[in-house]
Amino acid sequence: MSKGGRHAYAALSVLAAGALVLTGCSKGGSDTGDNKKQDKENAQRQQATIKFGDAADSQGPAPAVPGAKSGGTIAVPQRDSLAHLDPAQIYVSNESQIAQLYHRGLTGFKATSNDGGEHEVVGDLATDAGTTTDGGKTWKYTLKDGIKFADGSAITSKDVRQTFERLFASFINTGPTFIQQWMANTPGADYRKLLPDGPYKGKHLPAGVLETPDAKTVVFHFKTAHADLPYALGMVGYAVVSQKGDTKEKYDKNPVTSGPYKIQSFKSGKSMVLVKNPNWDPKTDPLRHQYVDRFNVTFNQQYEDSTKALIADSGGEQTAVSLQNSVDAGNLAKVLGDPKMKSRTVKGYQPFVGQMNINLSHPAMKDKKVREAIAYALPVSPFQRAYGGGEAMEIPGGIISPTVTGYDPNFDPWGKKKKPAGDPAKAKKLLKEAGKVGMKLTFGYINSQEGQSYSTAMAAGLEKAGFDVQRQEIPSESFYDQVSKIKNNYDIFNTNWGADWPSPSTVIPPLYDGRTIADGASNYSQINDPKVNSEIDRINKITDPVKAAAAWGKLGEYIVKDVVNVVPTGYFKQVQIAGSKIGGVAYDDVIAGIDPRRLYVK
Amino acid sequence: MVDGAAQPAATPEAKALEGRSPGQLMWIRFKRDRTGVISAFVVIFFFLIAAAAPLIAKLYGKNPYTVYADERPELFDSAGVPVQPNGGISSEFWFGLEPGNGYDVFTKLLYGIRTSLMISVAVTIAAVLTGILLGVTAGYLGGRTDYFISRVIDFLLAFPAQLFFIASMPVVVSLFVSPTDETPVYVRVVALILVQWFLGWMSLGRVLRGTTLALREREFIEAARVSGAPPGRIIRRELLPNVVTPILVQGTYLLPNFVTAEAGLSFLGVGIVEPTPDWGQMFSKASTELVMQNDITYMFFPGISMIIFIVAFNLLGDSVRDAFDPKTAR
Repeated sequence: MSKGGRHAYAALSVLAAGALVLTGCSKGGSDTGDNKKQDKENAQRQQATIKFGDAADSQGPAPAVPGAKSGGTIAVPQRDSLAHLDPAQIYVSNESQIAQLYHRGLTGFKATSNDGGEHEVVGDLATDAGTTTDGGKTWKYTLKDGIKFADGSAITSKDVRQTFERLFASFINTGPTFIQQWMANTPGADYRKLLPDGPYKGKHLPAGVLETPDAKTVVFHFKTAHADLPYALGMVGYAVVSQKGDTKEKYDKNPVTSGPYKIQSFKSGKSMVLVKNPNWDPKTDPLRHQYVDRFNVTFNQQYEDSTKALIADSGGEQTAVSLQNSVDAGNLAKVLGDPKMKSRTVKGYQPFVGQMNINLSHPAMKDKKVREAIAYALPVSPFQRAYGGGEAMEIPGGIISPTVTGYDPNFDPWGKKKKPAGDPAKAKKLLKEAGKVGMKLTFGYINSQEGQSYSTAMAAGLEKAGFDVQRQEIPSESFYDQVSKIKNNYDIFNTNWGADWPSPSTVIPPLYDGRTIADGASNYSQINDPKVNSEIDRINKITDPVKAAAAWGKLGEYIVKDVVNVVPTGYFKQVQIAGSKIGGVAYDDVIAGIDPRRLYVK
Repeated sequence: MVDGAAQPAATPEAKALEGRSPGQLMWIRFKRDRTGVISAFVVIFFFLIAAAAPLIAKLYGKNPYTVYADERPELFDSAGVPVQPNGGISSEFWFGLEPGNGYDVFTKLLYGIRTSLMISVAVTIAAVLTGILLGVTAGYLGGRTDYFISRVIDFLLAFPAQLFFIASMPVVVSLFVSPTDETPVYVRVVALILVQWFLGWMSLGRVLRGTTLALREREFIEAARVSGAPPGRIIRRELLPNVVTPILVQGTYLLPNFVTAEAGLSFLGVGIVEPTPDWGQMFSKASTELVMQNDITYMFFPGISMIIFIVAFNLLGDSVRDAFDPKTAR
């Protein structure tokens, strides 16, 4: 969900110019409740590896939500409009979250507990999560009976073939690229050479890559083992597309959907109405419910506005819930301080991890002692403060987030958990040993409200250790374009990255594989470490998810502790609030937000 | 001599009737105006604390750049809101601590006033000098020069000032800065002064042109001209002393305008930015949801101090005007 990170955190923060009511003096701040223990439990529950479910787990209908009722309309205020409705273009987290309601894929992540904490990968359109006989090179899927698109036509293997072949067409350019790269067995954007025009000029993927022997069977063939395929297929980006209804570019405006809801109307930047899809059969779907008659989605609702409306909880707001919006930083303490409001909230981790990149292409940054000095000196508490405190951001240890397998809660090489404000004394000593006291350090920061706030405090912390910090603002719209240039002026800059599915294989290779360094690539720190590169290749071949997770975890620790090309700055969390008449609210760790599939009106 | 007896009694009276300069008259009239005197003291107080900010901060033992949220984490919750009520006001932090990074509000306010006043005074001086130069030139020379300068004034007056400031600040700043360095504070200050000066001098220039135009036809100027005085001398010795009143009056109206304009720009994020303390930027901080919901006390310090300053300065301006020119109705 890299791009989700981009959009969610690069977005402009808007000043809320509310009226000031002089109600006298203010009370002091407070940390609401003792959440340390619960956080630990959250982290532990997420470390459990997500298993592959069998055919029985993949059968519909989905287990009923306790107390659920049918009927009613839910209002959904969202901040960002949807840029894409074509599943192949969907990568951004807020788009894939709501798309759970109208797009279906071969597999899906099924919540096996009512709090959205435990999951297994099950077959969604397929009868199971996939079977492989050769350790992950060949994967076989069988489609269920009775699955239909919203237009009433049956979903067959032809549609699945279309779904994957059109990914190679040039107009599909914002979705995930994992499976395309696996099929073509190349990294980067070279995969398009496998089928340059997609299926539109009569060419098709050879049987050695994708096989559809009959209307119900789909077989994937890869040159190397990819044990992660069932996870990848659970992404909305690989949801099924109708072969008959495929209108190429226009599909993005008017897709043929398959989920329990269909799109009645969509006005970009304004609103979307979702209504029940009569051709959806609950018996075929182990993941979704169809309790609510209608979702009225409105866009351009800022966090402050949606929070204020949901706090007020009057009239229409009682049956409102935002899928995307968190409680804004300013109102967080108020919401959590009131038990009535707190009972309407859910909270959990977002997949994103903030990390301060140290630009290894700059000669001055090649000195490991300097990098270690930065790692010791950098205060991470400003990052937490800027996003709203402990409920919105957790002080990190490593680069692997608590929601991802391979996370180690005790890993903390730079002592950030004890000293979140940094350790200037140790840093100064290292800087003296390197003979670089007073060296210039150009710090590129995103020009958002948060960026301004944390960058000044971080600069103050680094200056205490003897750096001459030069802060440079970068406009938020072009931040990631600027810092992902090979030649940029910034010695240090903070980026946020989230796993696409709960495995470090979607974190470490894209961020730290030295062979991917290119303009616009996500190897922001430009690390090219031979050990890291060879380990990535080795671990990618491990087919046992548990062993792979442990190996990824170790590699992640090696990167943070021994390479020191990034300093983790925070694990993103969020608190979301729902209206008092909304039932079935649960924070789903895989969706990283409120699960829209199980909501009902009380 | 019958009248002679009365003479000695008249002597003290004659002393009192001794010739007074317009300046002295103004001073006497001004001293009688209680509002004016109080306002003057308030304004002087603000300028004093602005000038002495580093000294006060030194005696107080803090500076506005220390991130107390990291230095003294026990005073804050994890979101950076002071734990103590009323924004953490205590004997140690007199005006409390700023939510967020936890800067000391007292020194921040002092330095903020200092920044804002320094910029505004510089803009006022620049605008007054430009106004005198162009206004008096246009009025005295007349003809084509007058026409040209007046059209420039009309043109600039038609500019939407606030929009121009917002649009041109980033452009002016980028003219000065090298790509690897931080934008130095002085660049932002110079840019703020330039931008405000550019659209700040016209009203005064126009008033001076009118006054000069009227004075030019007066007998004493004509007399000077006939007696062969060069134009430079006429302007310096005859004209300028007669336009001191409008200059002073306009100047006292201009300065508070510049203070609020500068604060407005910093509020919008195009003026002075964190961590440099600035009056307007404190407002911008105070209007965030974090402060609004958790620490409303913070708003009072920049708010009340600015209201007092602006009101006092405007009252002072009125009093100065009354003292110089008691006949004119406001």
